[in-house]
Amino acid sequence: MTALIRTELRKYATTRLAWGMALAMFLLGAIFSGGFGALYVYGSLTPDGTPVSEVVPPLVLARLVYTAGIQVAYLLALIIGVLSIGQEFRHKTISGTFLATPRRGRVVAAKVVALVVVGALNGVVHLLGCLLGGGVLLALSDLPVFPEPAELGRTLLLVLLVLALWALIGFGVGVLIPNQVAALSIAVAAAWIVEPLLGFGLTFLDGAEWLAKYFPSQATTATLDLFTGVDPEFARTLGGAEDPLAWWTAALVLLGYAAVMTVVGWLLTRSRDIA
Amino acid sequence: MTTPPTTVPSTDIEVRGLTKSFGGFLAVDDLSFRVEPGRITGFLGPNGSGKTTTLRMLLGLIRPTAGQGLIGGRRYAELPAPLTTVGAALEATNFHPGRSGRDHLRVLAGTHGIPDSRVDAMLELVGIPAAARKRAGGYSMGMRQRLGLAAALLGDPRVLILDEPSNGLDPEGIRWLRGLLRHLAGEGRTILVSSHLLGEVEQTVDDVVIIANGHLVRQGTIEQLHGDPATLVRAADPAHLAEALHGQGITAEPATEHGPGALRALTGDMVRIGDVALVAGVAVHELRPLRTDLERLFLELTEAPAHRNRNLTGDATPSTSTEEQA
Ligand SMILES: Nc1ncnc2c1ncn2[C@@H]1O[C@H](COP(=O)(O)OP(=O)(O)OP(=O)(O)O)[C@@H](O)[C@H]1O
Ligand SMILES: [Mg+2]
Repeated sequence: MTALIRTELRKYATTRLAWGMALAMFLLGAIFSGGFGALYVYGSLTPDGTPVSEVVPPLVLARLVYTAGIQVAYLLALIIGVLSIGQEFRHKTISGTFLATPRRGRVVAAKVVALVVVGALNGVVHLLGCLLGGGVLLALSDLPVFPEPAELGRTLLLVLLVLALWALIGFGVGVLIPNQVAALSIAVAAAWIVEPLLGFGLTFLDGAEWLAKYFPSQATTATLDLFTGVDPEFARTLGGAEDPLAWWTAALVLLGYAAVMTVVGWLLTRSRDIA
Repeated sequence: MTTPPTTVPSTDIEVRGLTKSFGGFLAVDDLSFRVEPGRITGFLGPNGSGKTTTLRMLLGLIRPTAGQGLIGGRRYAELPAPLTTVGAALEATNFHPGRSGRDHLRVLAGTHGIPDSRVDAMLELVGIPAAARKRAGGYSMGMRQRLGLAAALLGDPRVLILDEPSNGLDPEGIRWLRGLLRHLAGEGRTILVSSHLLGEVEQTVDDVVIIANGHLVRQGTIEQLHGDPATLVRAADPAHLAEALHGQGITAEPATEHGPGALRALTGDMVRIGDVALVAGVAVHELRPLRTDLERLFLELTEAPAHRNRNLTGDATPSTSTEEQA
């Protein structure tokens, strides 16, 4: 099994996608953390025009700054997941993969483990970008760069978890929809357009608002636990949910999405004809 | 090969009643045949006759509707380290265009703990060591075929299954491939090569399995396909010579399609024909072996009304004599 996982990692590392993805993760991290950081420190997002940095404790500010790019980062992770199987269908390398490992369940398992690793590694690169972009900004503004290391560190680790889970969700989508272009479009559209709209629509539906917090994007924000210790009213203006799930429940919800997609994908792959 | 002269444990291929229907369309229909170790078997059939589908079922990539394909008595999925038993090259396009040829092989090798040195040896063997570190997307068709072959040979397999391996190879490449396959068969390996051209593999294969529309139409050795030997004799007085040959127990019949004075003698023994003619006092103007034109025979077999290609419409070309000059 370790040989299979290593092989999957080798597969990922031997195309340009790996470097392009890492670069994008890093740059987007730096840009978003730097950009949103500037907005929080110098902008007037609060009703009375005071900068966010003056209303929230340093820990919350650092969390907001360093996770500013999470939406793009998880979209990239989703794409990594779709591609990890979509490319095999597209370029028909899946034949060679299944010839080398005819027990398809093992291939799926190896891909899952490899994706968790790749998702987390890309998360590390992303966070390095965030820490650079956001850190420079905070330092220049004479604000604490890394307050309450244990608490902040936990948030950053959760970023890694979130990205790994989104990669797995992408994998499920990729297996469900063997046409790579279709899978990518559908995944991106679902994550960035359909889901937020649906969530927004639910807020008008009496008795159904609670559903929205189980959606992947809101579960992601809840997993990161960004707004503990912030006035709920104000948290909402920053994009927080009304009554978010506990971080671990939210993480389980994300894991659930990933697991369901992967299992369905595996069931389909098991008997699919490879022509 | 990198290994000294070897003989490998013999492993046969057995196809039993394989059937595949794609939504009602019977691509392969109750197909059974056996492929012997130490021999090269040509798996022949026109386009769309079900060759690729059969090979993919044998390799566990397509689930048969009925029947099974066994390699050394086992289904492909049951082979413990499949690449060391079976090497397969299915299509010359199964590469990620952005991955180098060498990395493509390393990815496959990794699953079986095959070292990079073996990867490099195979690249050397198939003759593309220089291109190995370039992206496979830029490879020519011939280079892709060679890379596919290198992949098939990675695990030093006892059985080789190649789908149209000479597609895209130049004449020199085809000759090289023949030599390689002959060498591998000589080591006792089982080799199954598909082609839609009998003429192309005629010189390479020992046995043939011919299918049309998913049915078996002929199986046997290439000699059996050639049929009994025959000789063309052109003589000044063919009737007299035919009579003299009959007297010696050799059947000879007029073969006017070969021109005036031609006889088809049903023997390969030209010395005897010459001697009989001399004794009979008949001048011989031409004496040569008549060989079956396998390509034409192939057409006849696969275009017979019962096997006419369902994928095409219109009439098959009218069949003519299958005999031609050697
Ligand atoms: N996935 C599929 N779905 C539907 N029909 C299929 C599928 N795969 C193959 N076929 C049909 O099955 C028949 C056999 O196809 P196959 O590819 O096995 O032929 P082949 O002998 O390999 O032909 P060629 O010489 O062109 O490679 C064809 O008529 C083809 O159209
Ligand atoms: Mg084919």
